[in-house]
Amino acid sequence: MSISYIARRASQKEKVRILYRRALKDTLNWAVHRHLFYQDASDLRERFEANKHVEDIDTIDRMIADAEAHYNKFRHPDPYIVPWAPGGSKFTRNPTPPSGIEIVYNYGREDND
Amino acid sequence: MALRAAILRHIRIPAETSLFKNGLKLQAWNRFMSSHGDDHLDKQQVIDRVLSVVKSFPKVDPAQVTPDVHFQKDLGLDSLDNVEIVMAIEEEFKLEIPDLEADKIDSCNLAIEYVSNHPMAS
Repeated sequence: MSISYIARRASQKEKVRILYRRALKDTLNWAVHRHLFYQDASDLRERFEANKHVEDIDTIDRMIADAEAHYNKFRHPDPYIVPWAPGGSKFTRNPTPPSGIEIVYNYGREDND
Repeated sequence: MALRAAILRHIRIPAETSLFKNGLKLQAWNRFMSSHGDDHLDKQQVIDRVLSVVKSFPKVDPAQVTPDVHFQKDLGLDSLDNVEIVMAIEEEFKLEIPDLEADKIDSCNLAIEYVSNHPMAS
């Protein structure tokens, strides 16, 4: 059990977690209703669980590469993005003024107040 | 009609309300439709909502959930369940957590800290 083996296993585990996260989000993009999503999500989970006990490190690498290729092939063209996030519908719309700038809300109407 | 006229004759509304009198109050008010971090959550609210998300996860025993519980060590979940919980928290607070940061969140403590420090959490 060498150091390089442990490091490689750790990076594989991280890759799988991130791949599962992306795939799960993408599932929600394809199946917009919850009753469709739950079924698809449990199918996705089963596909990950099926290879849970694979031990050979090169086989795992190959499987991760295959799965990432499959994920990229079926990625949603117009995924849901939270509105304020980059690419979202509200990104850079109505931004807060930069610090150090004071807004005079009653400009030109000072005498009326 | 007669009733309406009778009521209107007796009601007087001041022409200028105090809301528009001072600029300070207006300043706090006028960005209330904006999504830019005006609705800050207080810590207790964040804790309650994160715990309720974790408790409603099907594989978790609700009695075991406390604010400083570790998902995999204490609740007996695996790494994929961890991913699912983080995604549920993300949806609860309408957040978009980058993949690498979401991967680091592995306990209630970290999740609460991340959400309460996030300016866009709502």
